[in-house]
Amino acid sequence: MRLILYTGKGGVGKTTTAAATGALAAEQGLRTLVVSADAAHSLGDVFDVPLGPEPRRLAERLDALEVDARHVIESHWGRVRGYLVALLRYQGIEEVIADELALLPGADELATLVSVEKWAESGDYDLILVDCAPTGSTLRLVTLPEVAHSGLRWMLRLQRATARVVEPLARGLIGAPLPNAEVFAEADRLFYKTLHRLRARLLSAQTSIRIVVTPESMVIDEARRSLTDLCLFQLASDAVIVNRVLPEQACREAFFQEWGRTQIERIRDVKAAFSPMACLTAPLEPDEVRGVAALSEHGKMLFGDRDPAGRLGSSLRLRFERDQSGARIRLPLPGLDPAALDVIRIEDELVIGVGERRRKIALPIGFAKLEIDRVSYRDGELLVSFGTASSSHSSPSSPCAATQAAP
Amino acid sequence: MRVLLYTGKGGVGKTTLALASALGAARHGHRVCILSTDPAHSLADALGQPVGPHPRRIAENVYAREIRAQLELDGAWSDIQAWLRELLKEEADSIVAEELLAFPGIEELVALRAVREVEQTGDFDVCVVDCAPTGSTMRMLRFPDALRIFMQHFFEFERKGARLLRPLMRGFDAGRLIPKEAFFDAFERLYEEIDDVRQILLDDDRTSARLVVNPTRIIVDETRRSFAYLSLYGIATDAVLVNREMPESVGEGYFSRWLEIEREELEVIEQSFPVPIKHVSLRPREVIGVEALEALSRDLFGDDDPAARFATGRPIRFRRVGDRTRLEIDLPGMTKEEISVSAKGADLHLRVRDSRRSISLPETLVGCPIEKVRLREPVLEIHFGNG
Repeated sequence: MRLILYTGKGGVGKTTTAAATGALAAEQGLRTLVVSADAAHSLGDVFDVPLGPEPRRLAERLDALEVDARHVIESHWGRVRGYLVALLRYQGIEEVIADELALLPGADELATLVSVEKWAESGDYDLILVDCAPTGSTLRLVTLPEVAHSGLRWMLRLQRATARVVEPLARGLIGAPLPNAEVFAEADRLFYKTLHRLRARLLSAQTSIRIVVTPESMVIDEARRSLTDLCLFQLASDAVIVNRVLPEQACREAFFQEWGRTQIERIRDVKAAFSPMACLTAPLEPDEVRGVAALSEHGKMLFGDRDPAGRLGSSLRLRFERDQSGARIRLPLPGLDPAALDVIRIEDELVIGVGERRRKIALPIGFAKLEIDRVSYRDGELLVSFGTASSSHSSPSSPCAATQAAP
Repeated sequence: MRVLLYTGKGGVGKTTLALASALGAARHGHRVCILSTDPAHSLADALGQPVGPHPRRIAENVYAREIRAQLELDGAWSDIQAWLRELLKEEADSIVAEELLAFPGIEELVALRAVREVEQTGDFDVCVVDCAPTGSTMRMLRFPDALRIFMQHFFEFERKGARLLRPLMRGFDAGRLIPKEAFFDAFERLYEEIDDVRQILLDDDRTSARLVVNPTRIIVDETRRSFAYLSLYGIATDAVLVNREMPESVGEGYFSRWLEIEREELEVIEQSFPVPIKHVSLRPREVIGVEALEALSRDLFGDDDPAARFATGRPIRFRRVGDRTRLEIDLPGMTKEEISVSAKGADLHLRVRDSRRSISLPETLVGCPIEKVRLREPVLEIHFGNG
């Protein structure tokens, strides 16, 4: 089963791109499910049919759904929910608890993960495409299994450690219902099993992330930052899709001439920043792309002869490491002349200059305060070591010339 | 201080128009602070100059600041963070753990606090907030409500539990995982601050939301729903800003069909929103830098002060008709099937699609039966009988 997640800044056309991929893949014979994970859903608008939290058949082999946190909590979390209802009753109120739980931070992300894993497990599909929420929250989605896992492990350990001694006592003193073993068993099933499986799935070779951009600098800047996050969590990304490229015919019109000139540069920027990922382009269509047939046509423009479900390129193998001896960034850059290499940190970005070319990499939060200690290049890999925290986090570091390592 | 919340579907140009408004308001003599609460910040990208977590002057009387959850938490919430870090210690390596500490929702929370901070400095007349795309903005706006529910029903219970467990767990390894008193204190302070912000947001004299929209169907559909959610949470929208209209000059070319679609959508926009609509057309190049943004601001607002209140209607209002009272709420784009209403004690429970809110009824309406619920696009009317 192949899983592809579409991410990118809001409004670049993630939903249309995911839906187009789905329409085309289904037409080519894959049993396909398109999942919308954005709390402000627009997948139904794109397919032009109302969608709910269960798959709806849109065409032969093509299903789609919009995740609803409340629905997931109601259907998958009965016991935990039951416990919270009991607790609320004790507090003197009776409310529809799922609504309140759906408000908790992370609930939308959690609901998406549970849905995706459920349908991935079902064996009903060859391909699942996830239309993620705009960049900021999307990447949190893939980190959730780890957070949830930690939180639950804590609860389980606490429960195990306290059950015999403390529970009867606490029951008497607090007077409120305490979660019983069944509640924990269910939480255990959800987090340990479901989320663990899902995490393994996200990190497997069967999963790819695709970044959608438009040829505008604001959008590309944001995509570069999310590439860092993807590398940080070691998620494989196979392609970047430049959407809404003005066709030549439009660029000839007086009003769009300047846009036409800039977009050539922007597409060049994208290719440089995301290689060795594949770079695909899709034109800005002369009409709104709505409904399965129009989406499938758009998919053909986008993928050409490529397999929409295939692995289109390989991800950037940028690695972040941190231990007692300090922090390091490793980046494979084969075939470089080390003498032409210049690496500096400017604010929270690492700027790697190779001759006239510069590549910017957004630094993870933990690195943003560190100073570059040493830069070396060996066996086609750039290694940037960081020292201790700098006194001021806003001043640019001094340029640091590359030092050539002994062969 | 005026608070202007700029929101809308992703990519419609929220940041650009928020900046244009900030610069325009400064031209009208206001001291302006613009905050970006979208974790994927683009203020700097749109300005073509760096913007950091500390206020930075970007033009005469205009300061800009990006809210970075991680840094804010380092400063003020170290107690909460310390506990989370302990939780995560054995699970994730340290680089990942730091990223994880900014769990979903934390950005919204920190953003709300920042609005209060700006007000407290007393240095600004206007605070423009460049919000995250609709989904998370809605989460930000309902956060105070969610937190209130949590505080009222769970908080003391948790605290009591921790107090009880702490001495008993001494000597056990798991004992260190029980949150310390300082954690609860920090949480309580946080709650008080967030509640202050709630007061600011719900005060329609002070706070207005501005919805940015592009004239395409999918965006208009979503924006109508956003308007309804904002109303539901009691936040007044005072204008809808239409960005990126195609100029007439492209009417003959490749995009002639777009122009037709746009005309239809502009009509839908005019009919959908009970507030003034302002327009600005697509530019021949990317709008980047103060100068380009100022020009855009003049096109968008003309001689109007962007900090003015463009509509005075309240999103939720009680109206007396004869001897009966009715509650009215603006819910554009919603169908009757998507709305449910019930009264329980002193509260009126409203559900609109997947969102719910409890509205406190005035004393005189408590116990009055709901006689009729009617949707007169875009207004939902709830008619009360006499109790």
